[in-house]
Amino acid sequence: MANHTARLYAVALALVVFFVGWAAIAAQPWAPTAAADPRLQALNVRAALLKQRAAFISQVTALRAKQPAAAAASPAVRVVNLPPLTVTRTS
Amino acid sequence: MTRRTFRAMGTDIELLVDADAATDELDAAEAEFERLEAILSRFRPESELSRLNRDGAIEASADLARVVELAVAARERTAGRFDPTVHDALVAAGYDRSFEEVEDDDAPAPPAAPAGGGVLVDGHRIELAPGVRLDLGGIGKGYAAERAAELLALAGDCLVSAGGDVAVRGGSWPVGVETADGTLTLELTRGGLATSGRDRRRWRRGGREIHHLIDPRTGEPAETDLLRVTVVCSDAVEAEVVAKELFFAGSSAAAGSDVPGVLVTRDGRTLLTGALA
Repeated sequence: MANHTARLYAVALALVVFFVGWAAIAAQPWAPTAAADPRLQALNVRAALLKQRAAFISQVTALRAKQPAAAAASPAVRVVNLPPLTVTRTS
Repeated sequence: MTRRTFRAMGTDIELLVDADAATDELDAAEAEFERLEAILSRFRPESELSRLNRDGAIEASADLARVVELAVAARERTAGRFDPTVHDALVAAGYDRSFEEVEDDDAPAPPAAPAGGGVLVDGHRIELAPGVRLDLGGIGKGYAAERAAELLALAGDCLVSAGGDVAVRGGSWPVGVETADGTLTLELTRGGLATSGRDRRRWRRGGREIHHLIDPRTGEPAETDLLRVTVVCSDAVEAEVVAKELFFAGSSAAAGSDVPGVLVTRDGRTLLTGALA
């Protein structure tokens, strides 16, 4: 009985060792790392830029959404007695 | 408060932002002017607008399509008082190059080139009727001021001034307006402001003084008793259109406008309109 159980454990252990060994060899850890494809690198840079641009557009869109439509449609202006920060001239 | 000034679109550009450090946003706003000038300038042979004027039809960028769409809508709304098809009239008057390079000329001006003609915008496709060419100088500056203000607003409340076209986002901004006898300060908290007049961009042709505001109905520099018109509207594009419309209308008609504005007449009077009156 005890021998039978021991044999089963031994077979299971042998199977585990076999598959772990297989996986290790299949991974080819000794192979040199391939140089990164420049096209892939360019694509990654482009993807990062597009992500940045998308975030920027989201910010602008959010800012626009904050402005109530009625407020944006009507200007607000009055005459004041202050020194001007800028002077407008004929364009 | 941070301020940056530079030249673009044939005028002085001023960016003001209520923030101590806004270099990235100021750079973005400045780059936006350069980008839009490269699209909208009629003086750059390689610009999209020049290509449209040469070829008569193009698949345009979103910006050119939008500005042409706004200009055509303004033409309909003002019954032709504002019209982007004044290109040939401006060229005939001698304004055929960047204003810094326009020189006085003793030769008589050729006959006026009438404005008007078909302009079709369908999505990004723009088609001009034969012989029609566009000038988007003023409305392009207003559009650029609005786009730049959007970018600059990411750093804080801001004002963008492109010559006479001003766009604001947040805050309250004292803006000086030249009157007949000094400067009036308007506090602008929302919307856009534009100034149109015959006091700048003038030259002589055939012994006659010419200015750049072409009346689309005659194809000639406008004959009006107004020297300069400043108005405040919902944005700088709309203000640019209304300022020209009132300028061409003359002081009697313009004085009755309900648009907040400052009119300066050639005989030295200053009239306030709308909420400023």
